[in-house]
Amino acid sequence: MKKRSLIMALGLAASMALTACGSGESTEESTAAETEAAEVEDSEEEKEAESKEAEEASEEGTADLTGVELSMMVPDWGNPGEELLKRFEEETGCKVNVTEVSWDDIRDKVSIAAVGGQAAADVFEVDWSWVGEMNSAGWLEPIEMTAEDIADEPTIETFTIDGKILALPYANDYRIAYYNTEHFEKAGITEAPETWEDVEAAMKAIKDAGICEYPFSMPMGAEEAGTTSLTWLAWAKNGVVFNDDGTLNKDSVLDALTFENNMVTSGYVDPAMRTATGMDCYNKICSGETSFMVGPTKFVNFISDPEKTAEDVLGKIEPILLPGTEGVSDRTMPLPEAYGVSAYSENKEAAVTFVKWLNSAEIEKELYLANGSIPNRNSVIADMIADGTIKTPGAMLEQAELIKSPFPNGVPDFYAEMSNTMYNNVNSMVLGDKTPEEAFEAMDSKVKELLAQ
Amino acid sequence: MLRQPFLLYNTYVENTSSEEGAVKKLYNKILPYMLLLPMLILMIALVYYPIAVTFSYSLKKMKLTRPNDVEFIGLKNYIEILKSEDFLYSLQNTLFLLIFVVILTTVFGFALALILNREHKLSGLFLAIAILPWAMPPIVNGIIWKFIFFPGYGFINKLFIALGLTEKPIDWLSDRSLLLMVVSVVTAWRSAPFCGIVCLAGLKTIPKELYEAAAIDGSGTFSSFRHITLPLSLPFIGIGMTSASVTAVNIFDEIVSLSGFSDTGKNLLIQNYLTTFSFLDFGRGSALTYIIMILTSGIGVLYLRSLNKEVSYQ
Repeated sequence: MKKRSLIMALGLAASMALTACGSGESTEESTAAETEAAEVEDSEEEKEAESKEAEEASEEGTADLTGVELSMMVPDWGNPGEELLKRFEEETGCKVNVTEVSWDDIRDKVSIAAVGGQAAADVFEVDWSWVGEMNSAGWLEPIEMTAEDIADEPTIETFTIDGKILALPYANDYRIAYYNTEHFEKAGITEAPETWEDVEAAMKAIKDAGICEYPFSMPMGAEEAGTTSLTWLAWAKNGVVFNDDGTLNKDSVLDALTFENNMVTSGYVDPAMRTATGMDCYNKICSGETSFMVGPTKFVNFISDPEKTAEDVLGKIEPILLPGTEGVSDRTMPLPEAYGVSAYSENKEAAVTFVKWLNSAEIEKELYLANGSIPNRNSVIADMIADGTIKTPGAMLEQAELIKSPFPNGVPDFYAEMSNTMYNNVNSMVLGDKTPEEAFEAMDSKVKELLAQ
Repeated sequence: MLRQPFLLYNTYVENTSSEEGAVKKLYNKILPYMLLLPMLILMIALVYYPIAVTFSYSLKKMKLTRPNDVEFIGLKNYIEILKSEDFLYSLQNTLFLLIFVVILTTVFGFALALILNREHKLSGLFLAIAILPWAMPPIVNGIIWKFIFFPGYGFINKLFIALGLTEKPIDWLSDRSLLLMVVSVVTAWRSAPFCGIVCLAGLKTIPKELYEAAAIDGSGTFSSFRHITLPLSLPFIGIGMTSASVTAVNIFDEIVSLSGFSDTGKNLLIQNYLTTFSFLDFGRGSALTYIIMILTSGIGVLYLRSLNKEVSYQ
């Protein structure tokens, strides 16, 4: 036992010593570090110059990246597909190797590699909710875009922090409302709801008439969709979620929480949705089990797809603008996914060229045909609606023009921790464990604590 | 068989001259260390170095989103974790799971072993079927059971409603106690086969003569079970229990697939994952890793002790 204790103590001491060595800095070390830093700065300047040259070349469509190989890490729905990759290789000489990784794992792999100063991949998936932390951690290479491009792609705002564009969106997603016209008509409602009061009245009429047992569907489970649902509701209903100092806007968020709670206590929401996933909630509109929901943009395609929508519901779901307080809301929340370039990549210029190529109007349309990614450029959406590629758009384009980010200072770097607190409190509230006020207080104090850090 | 080449080599060494013998003796002394070296390098690189680095992280304020704000803070991370409500809540859940998973796994595992110990034509088939849940990936296991316990259209709710046991579907996954019970059942379903196989191996080692002698002395089935089967199976049950304990502390996939990362069902491992990889707080996450490691080490010691227990037939 004594020997064991001695070994453990020695191990502990060695680790402490290592730590102490790591944190201590001698004058010699500082000098060496300064020289190294100067060298790194020089090489970074050279790289920046090279990068600018390559970017200029790519804008002119003349980028020659022969022999360069890029790695790309994306979820299956973000894979551009072999044809597009081959086309990029033919145009530039650059080969891209794609690794499909589950969405959650990408973030883990990127962070673990970054701890060791490595790039998990040259190009990787960047979800809108990750951009704040990835920016603070310095994992993303900024990308230059023209003012014209930025104006055509409102979702770029989500990936912009302090004027820097950190990733380029490839899959557009913003919240849009869907309602079952047949259910509404049977309940004697001929007009689409324009305000949340209209929605509540319609839900009551539909439920009371026995047309649909649970006419309202909204994710309320303890998962990310619980946070985003509260955020878009407060955003569309009251036009504000966060104050300028980053704290939660009490009036708006509490109002949204109260609305959510009323929908549950009035029996308009299936109790199973309190533990179901977001997709379980959204799919209810396609199965005819609900009459109204606010959901992802891709359901615009699903509602006309016989494989995704029940036969008796096909053609009866209409995408409409999000309701507001006085009339339809003048805004919606974007939740896009993007391709980012690793700050640790050894082929930054090629990676930036590739990401910009994928973001071009022509390729966005190809990407939609290859993997169903909704384009981010409003001009492309308009073209695709006009040529019939998107069959049942409803208010899709109109809603796309109302995209605004609810984060006044960009997505905060503590988003994951904040979101965890938000969805757990929303879930506690709908399960009856907390009042809307208690849920808000818990969220508010956590956000303030995170801001103070 | 493995000793044969060494015996031949030693015989060869003894037969050489004294000078050559001295060299060979030296070589003989070094050889074991050289043979150990590759494994030692691997262990240092893949086990001891990460353990040391994790420990050094645990003593730092180290959040990946603030790369310029890394500093040595001693044991502050440990103190803050031990004082936090999140840790206590997760610890309670972990202990609940530990107790229920061990009980369920042991009871069902041993019962399974008793059934499989009865020899008949289909013994092999039953054994193969019994092992299946153990071979199933935990995440798949969790997803299957989520469908079974789904509040709306889940099998259990449909069964209960059909049998008239309840009028409305039960929300199995939103209440803390119910959720932890479900997680315990799901995990026990996966870990019971291993416990059963270990116990079955133990049952096979009990000499039949003992039962014959007991029968001659007038012992009935229950008496033989109580005085022969159970005491002689205890070391194997002990192995099964400690293995179940390690499984219970390490439950992750089942909880995630049943209730996501909700506060309701989170155990220490989920809390650790959230802190380290979701909130990117490597300092506090590393400290939590060490706390979990100390807890599981205690269980590991029990496991090793139960392995070393001797079986007495007296």
